[in-house]
Amino acid sequence: MGGPKPTRVSNRIRDLRTEKDLTQADLASRLGVTRQTIIAIEQGKYSPSLEMAFQIAAVLEAPLDDVFSYKGDDAD
Amino acid sequence: MTDDETRVPMAGDEKVAWVYGSTVLVTSGAYFVWLAIQLSTHEPSEIAWAVPMAIAIAASIGLVIVLTILASIGSAVWSALRGRFQEPDFASDERDRAIKQLGDRSLLSALSIATGGALILAMFDASGFWIGNYIFLVCSVGALAEAGTKIRAYRRGL
Repeated sequence: MGGPKPTRVSNRIRDLRTEKDLTQADLASRLGVTRQTIIAIEQGKYSPSLEMAFQIAAVLEAPLDDVFSYKGDDAD
Repeated sequence: MTDDETRVPMAGDEKVAWVYGSTVLVTSGAYFVWLAIQLSTHEPSEIAWAVPMAIAIAASIGLVIVLTILASIGSAVWSALRGRFQEPDFASDERDRAIKQLGDRSLLSALSIATGGALILAMFDASGFWIGNYIFLVCSVGALAEAGTKIRAYRRGL
C-alpha cells in the first residue's frame, strides 16, 4: 500500500495548455506565479487556491470542471 | 528541447530552506559538541556558555545571509555558463506562502514546547545554564523541523 498522495485533485492543465500552445513559463507568467508552481500543480503536488484555479481555467478558456476534477472517496 | 523540458531551477525559498537547515545543523551541532566536551570535565556552573551560544546564534544568522546570496549568485552563474537564462528565483507565490505557513507551524510548536519547558525548569529553580541550553536546543530542533518541513513540501508536495 503506497502513502497518501499530496492531493486528490487531478487536472488536465498540461493537455489544455498544449492544445493552446502555451508553455509552462507562458502560463506561469500569465498567472503571476513561478514555473515551479505550475509544475507542482500539473504533477498533483500542489492544489491551487480557488482563486488561482479560476484564473487557470480563464487562461485556458475552459470550464473549471474541465480543468480540475476531484477524486473524492470513490477510489476507496 | 521544448521550454517545458528545460530544467527548472530550485525555488528561491527552497534554496533558503536548505541553507537555513544546513547552517543551523552545523552551528548548533558545533555548539552542543563543545558543550558535551565541557560537561565531561566541568560542572555546569563552571561552564561559560553564554558567549559560545551567542557566537553560534550570530554565526547561524550571518552564514544564512551570506550562503543564501552566494547560492543565488552561484546558481545564476552556473546557468549563464551553460547558456541558459535563469528566471529570478527570489519570486514567491501562493505555493511558497503555503509552504512557509507549514514550516512556521513546525517552528511555532517547538517554540511552545520551549516556553512551557523553560517555565517548568524555572518553577523547579533550575539554573540559567539548564534553562538557556534547553531553550537553545528546542529552538535548534524547531529550526531544523521548519527547514525539513519546507524541503519535504517542496520535494513531495503539500
